[in-house]
Amino acid sequence: MNISIVARLIWKDWYLNRGLFVGSILLGLLTLGAVATAKGAFLPLILGVIVLATILIGMGAVLMSSMVNERRQQTLPFVMSLPISYLEYTVSKLAGSLFIFFVLWLALLLGMIVTILLTPWFPHGLIPFVIIMSVEILVTTCLIAAVSVTTESQGWTIGVTQVGGLALNAVGFSIVRLPGIRDSISGSAVHWTSTATVLLLAEFAVIALMLGTAFFVQSRKRDFV
Amino acid sequence: MTDLSVQFTGVTKTYPHFTLSDVDLKLPTGSIMGFVGANGAGKSTTIRILMGLVHQDRGAVEVLGHAMPSQQAAAKRDIGFVSEDMRLYGPATLAWHMEFIRSIYPQWDALYAQDLLRRFDLKPAQKIKGLSHGQRVKAALLLALARRPRLLVLDEPTTGLDPVARCEVLGELMAVLADEERTIFFSSQNTLDVEQISDQITFIDRGRIIDSADKEIFLDRWRRLRLVLPPDTTLPRLPGIVQVGGSSRLPVLTISRFDPAMVAACQEAGASVQAVDSMTLEEIFIVNVQSRREGAIA
Repeated sequence: MNISIVARLIWKDWYLNRGLFVGSILLGLLTLGAVATAKGAFLPLILGVIVLATILIGMGAVLMSSMVNERRQQTLPFVMSLPISYLEYTVSKLAGSLFIFFVLWLALLLGMIVTILLTPWFPHGLIPFVIIMSVEILVTTCLIAAVSVTTESQGWTIGVTQVGGLALNAVGFSIVRLPGIRDSISGSAVHWTSTATVLLLAEFAVIALMLGTAFFVQSRKRDFV
Repeated sequence: MTDLSVQFTGVTKTYPHFTLSDVDLKLPTGSIMGFVGANGAGKSTTIRILMGLVHQDRGAVEVLGHAMPSQQAAAKRDIGFVSEDMRLYGPATLAWHMEFIRSIYPQWDALYAQDLLRRFDLKPAQKIKGLSHGQRVKAALLLALARRPRLLVLDEPTTGLDPVARCEVLGELMAVLADEERTIFFSSQNTLDVEQISDQITFIDRGRIIDSADKEIFLDRWRRLRLVLPPDTTLPRLPGIVQVGGSSRLPVLTISRFDPAMVAACQEAGASVQAVDSMTLEEIFIVNVQSRREGAIA
């Protein structure tokens, strides 16, 4: 693995997406600021959650579909003319897109936690649920990445993004009904239950499985351009 | 023994509706090979296999001493590649692309890059999306040339250019190529481009290499004989006749292995030779393809 060139390709993706990244961070922070100053009002809170989820899923879809876009925009032959193998290209795409997304994701997650902790309107018991749902968005993003990388199809990528976005609501409603989450979500203290731990571990296992499958499929491909 | 930059041995690649069959190809170091074929003949598939972007089903490919596709990363350190379907990143400037390539290739020649900027009349601060197609091709050539590759692979770089831009790109490319000795594999469906640049020619049709030789040999051995045949005189049996045109009284023979002795043979048979015409590469290519498809050439 030529780490130096993989790093160069990741830097290239960062450079090409930097405007979108900075814009997303700013919009996310503005949204959190609006939610924090709304004194716990229901409507700004719901709108804020919708905007934050849209930023994360939208940015995730844009970043993760960059491999499809590279093929569609015919920049793939340029990248593949560089001294790299296709597996190195895949590593650079997945690692680069996930890293850029992860920075945004982490910034907004920390912003949400800080908002909950510093404002008196939100119960601190909400934090485990916020973390689990944020990781669920990470799962959706990795799913989009895996499908985008393996199918290299814009149609499949868009389809999975839509299904993933809708599934997020269903997962959220299901999780909030679990006793281990429901019973502590309104509490004034953070209560990390075994249910929350199992959910998080399951989410990370799904992420590992999806990324592993993507690399496995890529390593068996024979035609790349 | 000749030093080879590219060697294909029995390379086959099968798709549902196309097969590249048993391609044998040798590109000696320092030579410029024109790879000519019609649309869908297999030029791009051959080049993708050469670059390691497509894996052959059978056969061996060696590029600059590296087995492809397994050692493609090592081989591509010394290859400059420009293809007609290659695009650069629209939102970024040419200067950014130059810095990006410089960071990957230690042999990047900054002075040469500046010289090419001037010769190609390109502005480094301009974004790629603001360039014309001709300028984008020149930008891609600059990025490929300034990395000082040992092998330059050009896949139809002049396709889609208007005549002026094509002439400019080709003129600049020829000037650049005159700078020093390079090994170049140049594919095109435009025989005029190939004739200007190449010293070796390979024809491909329907996934098969149908002919390959030095350009001068190609041009020397193909001729058109215009005869006047008196009544009751039959055409002499000459080797290498691939096409007989004209009329029965004024036949035109297209010959793939011309020998000046053939003129005397025709005259001895009673025919009068009106003209022995040279053929352009395009004429040779067309007759070659037609006659192969008709089975006139084994």
